[in-house]
Amino acid sequence: MEKLMADLKAQIIQQLNLQEVKPEDIGDDQPLFKEGLGLDSIDALELIVLLQQHHNIRVANPEDGPNIFYSVRTMAEYITEQKKNA
Amino acid sequence: MKPQAYIQGTGAVSAQDSNVFPGTIREYESIRLPVADPDYKQWIDIKQIRRMGRVIKMGVAASHISLQHAGITMPDAIIMGTAYGCLADTGVFLNKLVTQKEDMLTPTAFIQSTHNTVGGQIALLLGCHAYNNTFVHGAFSLENALQDSLLFLLEQPSRKVLAGAVDEITDYSHAILSRFGLYKSAPVKNTALLQSRTAGTVAGEGAAFFVLAKEKDVQSQAELTGLEMLYKPRSAQETAMRLEQFLQRHGLQAQDIDLLITGRNGDVKEDAYYETIESGSFAGKPVAAFKHLCGEYPTAAAFAMWMATGMLRDQQVPSAAMFKGAAPAAVKRILIWNHQHTTHHSFILLSAC
Repeated sequence: MEKLMADLKAQIIQQLNLQEVKPEDIGDDQPLFKEGLGLDSIDALELIVLLQQHHNIRVANPEDGPNIFYSVRTMAEYITEQKKNA
Repeated sequence: MKPQAYIQGTGAVSAQDSNVFPGTIREYESIRLPVADPDYKQWIDIKQIRRMGRVIKMGVAASHISLQHAGITMPDAIIMGTAYGCLADTGVFLNKLVTQKEDMLTPTAFIQSTHNTVGGQIALLLGCHAYNNTFVHGAFSLENALQDSLLFLLEQPSRKVLAGAVDEITDYSHAILSRFGLYKSAPVKNTALLQSRTAGTVAGEGAAFFVLAKEKDVQSQAELTGLEMLYKPRSAQETAMRLEQFLQRHGLQAQDIDLLITGRNGDVKEDAYYETIESGSFAGKPVAAFKHLCGEYPTAAAFAMWMATGMLRDQQVPSAAMFKGAAPAAVKRILIWNHQHTTHHSFILLSAC
């Protein structure tokens, strides 16, 4: 899980071109949107593509988005769960 | 002779320094003159800057500088021109389209690849919901944006328009345009470009914006007196005749122009047009140039207009801009005559306030 979260932080920074943000600046449980990292709806689309590109996971139900993309930890948990069920 | 509009503020991002003119001229030895990027973070929030391509940042920066110089925070219209639009992001999007087989395409590059993204981003950052238009007409993009601005001011004379133009070069666009033989085959010093007398020129890029108003006030820096486009004249002689007619329509002759700024770019074939007129009706007149400072690109006349406004405002013509004759001590009227590939000619007449 720790390795996956570290990878995700690097992937998020690269995919979203988060200049001047380092992986260690992103907390495992820090909210990614609004008051946390300050991401917005376009970033949400980028994160969906990130899951597809890097982890081969498609988000089937868009309504699950807010829970899946709440934090790096929730993303990592979702990826782990999906890979277990695959 | 009725003034068409007053230039209240100007801003440019170019291969030269953004804020200082005439300052020290930046020298290059290259076949490309890239913009000297200012610190864009002074105008754009770090969270927003991450999605912006270079051309958007250039446009936003130039527009902010011009608004600041004009002493206003909100224009009543944003009207701009671009020939190539957001080339870099278009390249990113199309590359992904091909390499990812039209699957899993990210939205950012697509959103940022449309030509009106620059005008849209300027409006978004300002929170400006006013008229917003982008003209994409090749080497007439700036001129059409200015024309629309003048029409807007004719209908709504109390308003202020943010008008300008922006274009960028990328590795892809430079490689493609080089295949047409547009650029020099070997690097050349920009300070020696105009005397090179060989085929081709150097590529350029940049953004320049102007705040235009119908009413003259203490902020007015220069007057945009006249504007005309001429497409595919049959000869240099026809161009000379049309130029003469343009001046006559404003009650002027060549002798009334204190400084002629031509779009001379060091391409021996293209510069021949300018020589015909420089040695004809403008014989003996001082002639300046600008493409050795900013490079050749479809909206380069915006850089010339920015430079000329500074000359009229400061009553100072930098020697680095001079091509022929001595820099005039006082300048009342400047005529910018630019053409691209001998097909798209434009005349921009500016006067001191």
